[in-house]
Amino acid sequence: MTSKKSQKSLVELRINGETIEVAFAPHKTLLEVLREDLALTGTKHGCELGECGTCAVLVDGLPVLSCLVLGLEAEGREVTTIEGMATAAGLHPLQDAFADLGAAQCGYCSPAFLLVAKELLEVNPSPNRDEIREALSGNLCRCTGYIKIYEAVELAAARMRGEAVEPATESIYGFEV
Amino acid sequence: MNTIGKPISRVDGKLKVTGSARYSAEFDMPGLCYAVLVQSTIPAGRIAGMDDSLARKAAGVLAVLTPENAQRLPGAEKRLSLLQDNQVYYNGQPVAVVVAEKLEEAHHAASLIKIRYSVSAPKLDFVAGFPSSHPGNHNGEPGDMSWGDVDGALKDSDIKIDQVYTTPIHHHNPMEPHAAIAQWNGDELTVHESAQDISGHRAKLAKLFGVQESNVRLICLFVGGGFGCKGPLWSHVPLAAMAARQVNRPVKIVLERPQMFGPVGARPRTHQRLTVGATREGKLTAIRHEVHAHTSVIEDYLESSAFPTRVMYGCPNVSTIHRIVDLNLGTPTYTRAPGVATGTYALEVAMDELAYKLNMDPLQLRLLNYTENDPQTKLPFTGKHLRDCYTRAAERFGWSNRTREPRSMRDGSQLIGWGVATETYPANRRPASALVRFKPDGRVLVATGTHEIGNGIYTIMIQTAADALNVSPDLIDAQLGDTALPPAPITAGSMTVASVTPAIQTAAERVRTRLLQMAVADSGSPVHDASVDEVDFKDGLIFRKLSPNRSEKLGDFIARNGGQPIEGIAHVEPDETLKQKFASHSFGAVFAEVSVDPDLGPTRVRRVTAVYDVGKVLNEKTARSQFIGGIVWGIGLALHEDSHMDARTGRIVNENLADYHVPVNADIGEIDVSAIDIADTHLNPLGARGIGEIGITGTAAAVANAIYHATGKRIRDLPITPQKLIA
Amino acid sequence: MIPRSFEYSAPGTLDEAVALLQKLGSDAKILSGGQSLIPMMKLRLASPPHIVDINRIPGLDYITEKDGFLRIGALVRESDLERSELVRSRFPILVDTTSVIADPLVRNQATVCGNLAHGDPANDHPATMLALGAIVVAVGPRGERDVPVENFFPALFTTALEADEILREIKIPIPPPSTGGAYLKLERKVGDYATAGVAVQITLNNSGACTAAAGIGLTNVGFTPIKAVKAEAFVKGKQLDQAAVKQASEIAAGESHPVDDIRGPADYKRDLVRVLTARAIVRALERVKGGV
Repeated sequence: MTSKKSQKSLVELRINGETIEVAFAPHKTLLEVLREDLALTGTKHGCELGECGTCAVLVDGLPVLSCLVLGLEAEGREVTTIEGMATAAGLHPLQDAFADLGAAQCGYCSPAFLLVAKELLEVNPSPNRDEIREALSGNLCRCTGYIKIYEAVELAAARMRGEAVEPATESIYGFEV
Repeated sequence: MNTIGKPISRVDGKLKVTGSARYSAEFDMPGLCYAVLVQSTIPAGRIAGMDDSLARKAAGVLAVLTPENAQRLPGAEKRLSLLQDNQVYYNGQPVAVVVAEKLEEAHHAASLIKIRYSVSAPKLDFVAGFPSSHPGNHNGEPGDMSWGDVDGALKDSDIKIDQVYTTPIHHHNPMEPHAAIAQWNGDELTVHESAQDISGHRAKLAKLFGVQESNVRLICLFVGGGFGCKGPLWSHVPLAAMAARQVNRPVKIVLERPQMFGPVGARPRTHQRLTVGATREGKLTAIRHEVHAHTSVIEDYLESSAFPTRVMYGCPNVSTIHRIVDLNLGTPTYTRAPGVATGTYALEVAMDELAYKLNMDPLQLRLLNYTENDPQTKLPFTGKHLRDCYTRAAERFGWSNRTREPRSMRDGSQLIGWGVATETYPANRRPASALVRFKPDGRVLVATGTHEIGNGIYTIMIQTAADALNVSPDLIDAQLGDTALPPAPITAGSMTVASVTPAIQTAAERVRTRLLQMAVADSGSPVHDASVDEVDFKDGLIFRKLSPNRSEKLGDFIARNGGQPIEGIAHVEPDETLKQKFASHSFGAVFAEVSVDPDLGPTRVRRVTAVYDVGKVLNEKTARSQFIGGIVWGIGLALHEDSHMDARTGRIVNENLADYHVPVNADIGEIDVSAIDIADTHLNPLGARGIGEIGITGTAAAVANAIYHATGKRIRDLPITPQKLIA
Repeated sequence: MIPRSFEYSAPGTLDEAVALLQKLGSDAKILSGGQSLIPMMKLRLASPPHIVDINRIPGLDYITEKDGFLRIGALVRESDLERSELVRSRFPILVDTTSVIADPLVRNQATVCGNLAHGDPANDHPATMLALGAIVVAVGPRGERDVPVENFFPALFTTALEADEILREIKIPIPPPSTGGAYLKLERKVGDYATAGVAVQITLNNSGACTAAAGIGLTNVGFTPIKAVKAEAFVKGKQLDQAAVKQASEIAAGESHPVDDIRGPADYKRDLVRVLTARAIVRALERVKGGV
């Protein structure tokens, strides 16, 4: 069946497990629908051209760039944003690890990194450093230099596997050890 | 309480990982509408005509601001493009603003505006501008400074290096684009802005609009990265305020990524000639560092690349010279380690060239010319442990296993190279104010108008107050990013911690003393009639030192005393006489290993080891992040970042993140950072010198030197791209 | 950054989609992955009045082997290729190719067929499909037709598709035994378009010589994707020893037509084609022998 839309019309979106009705013009991407129409500002606006990864959300479980997906394309699909990452039980282990280790520095790129990493750990619970690098290679961070982000993903993965791990004792006086 | 120096987790971590940290574009308010910039498409000339009739008629449009109709501002200045006249000084200059109900409507209407230009011949040729270049200064420091007899010493030098090093235009590209929401209430202006200097922006906005500073309030709770570009006030912010006044509603403006390549600053292009003389034994006899850098035609900005040459090595004859070339480009500005990042690249590559000419280990050459005093003034440093940095970094890196000859190290088909460089950054400190408040609920508030830009300052504020008050960090809240709070300096120049923490300490002392004075005077208090020296406050309890059981909770005390908070406010100025007694700089040593594909040219930085002397490290977690982040910027400077200007139109061709290459995670190998943790208490009571910028300094040179070691090719023009290595 | 407004249709069948295209002609643009189209629309390099979103059409996301061909449907995403066991085991060259396209986020949405239909010489699949001798299946109001990939790219950003046709499927001949292929690309950094890229597919006969099936495709060194026919002709019947590889790669470099741009000067890119061709041939030969 063909659906046809030119003006604003009411669209049903599934976002973070809830059904939301929202009206928006067809030429808006999911990013603007989330940020401007739904005030879900946890999804960040970075380059709008698919070059920085900052706007990543999960659509049907897969990370995609919300700036390169029309809002209308998301109709009937399950969208997960950072606002839906924590559950009633608390933060996702990745969120805990990012916060604990300081992998979120200025924090602007963090929501996207977290969602991409979440999907990675769902398909690969024990990624090595190269696999983490590869999975996160579409996300830019201008602050951390990436290393802390890898460390946080590794820590969260270990915790999710049920391993009793503590964050490595952080020291910048390495030569004293 | 002793939390300083501990790896305390960021207090704002949870907000950031849940998407709840609110950045400046993320505030909603009734009536909020959207503004979009229209930018010039010529580099120089004037607007001959503008047809905005279609835009005005477009759906949702509330206003179109043009040079024709825009409000005339009492305090307008040439450096900002606020539609006060028809002049065009650079490509990408704001020339109109469209305001509409919806973002997409503003965007569409902006595309309907037709502009006719009368084009003038632009100044875009950097090198051709050298003859008409002019001197300048940087933060009040003169661009030219010399000592000794450089010409004479060069003539008598056994060994001489004379080379030109060039660096391209860079754009900061924080992940969060510039954004502002402006709202007027009568003559009162409130602006949510992604800014590194809310106090400075408030003062400038007040002047522009001819209102009292107290009528302007800037708010910025989180900055999504800045690296310098959010330091100065740029045109889009007053333009949003002008639009808000015109439509009498709050107006939001968010720059698009391509708009980040022009009207909001850049690291200027540099051309640096270094002439270095030395004895056959390797003692430096003379250094001349002549810098040309560009600025705009509307404002002078000096990239102070030769400044590090004034402090780095013991040398009796030094000349540092800067000349500015005016071009029809957007005004450049501070970019992470302004001057020092580009200058250490040139100086430290020249040192490597000298080492090869002397047939000497490059680390040995640096140790041979080590200076314990500021080479120009002969003043001692407030603290300098660079020798330890060299030794420890060399050991961690394994430098002694290096073979000297270029192209002598391989891994399979890959050429391997190791390089070293020295890092430095001046220790800065400015006046700052803070308040510490005991609240009726027993909690403590620490507040100052500084900025959380990823530097972890929320956390460091709490650590500082916790230690000063003997209160657990859990009981303390921090507030910042609001000009309604006591003012703090610009968050730049690696000086936030050094400036803000002394103010917090003093405010904490004051509120503590005040509390204890009130307590001993209060007949209902268990410490009544004791002297202030006999009582103490710790972990939320007021008690007698000799009988700690006689105590009272802070909240109970406040409740009994009228329920009003107790507050200490402090304004603290740095000791200006310090400069007469000491020089104050951070230093570090950085080593890099690269691999180069000899047939295709790409360089990979496999590992970097750096050891820093930055005084006391206040928080290991946030510090390590800052160092690593800085090093990654250094890698970008060495290998990737390069804004290409179209020579005819003055437009940046690669004005997007696909073609402007910031390092991605796959570019980054292992990075090992450590610090020599010796407090520098001459500078401030905590002994911290700031850490945000030193990581980028030296790194580009270490990588460039490693590439030379790998390939035998000395590339003196950054970035070192594959084609430069293959050519 | 927002595209110009447009009408949006999401047909539920291919027939509906074709009927729409027939009605709208060049006013319509097909949206599949949208990872190239939407940026172009945002930059106003394309402003189609009508978007026909084919993502709601069921049954187009297949990767199957049938009648001697590997068949890739119009809605197969790049990341589906990476995940497909069939592709991983039989066509490592496709895994080479897809894994260097943009980044994982783009690959979750971008389609393989779209990578061809966009007609961009900087895209990676065209060179690989040229090397593999693939066939494009186009469906339109006049029914289906097969277009060999070598005829699919007549000019810059132009394909052999008519305005009312949809690229429904890519067919790749199942290679005979003793076949190996590889795609190599030099990019300035991860996620970038190729500075240059080379795809090589080689089949050896019983005596170890290269058969006529050899394919060599070049990425982003001309106005269209380039089939290096002279280099292909040269390797035919040859034992690919070091000297032959060297000569073939020099011939391939001679067939490239790069221009100076932000990714480097033309001479440099021509030299890259030479180095990459040699390396791709060597990798393909390794794969003939069962290497990965």
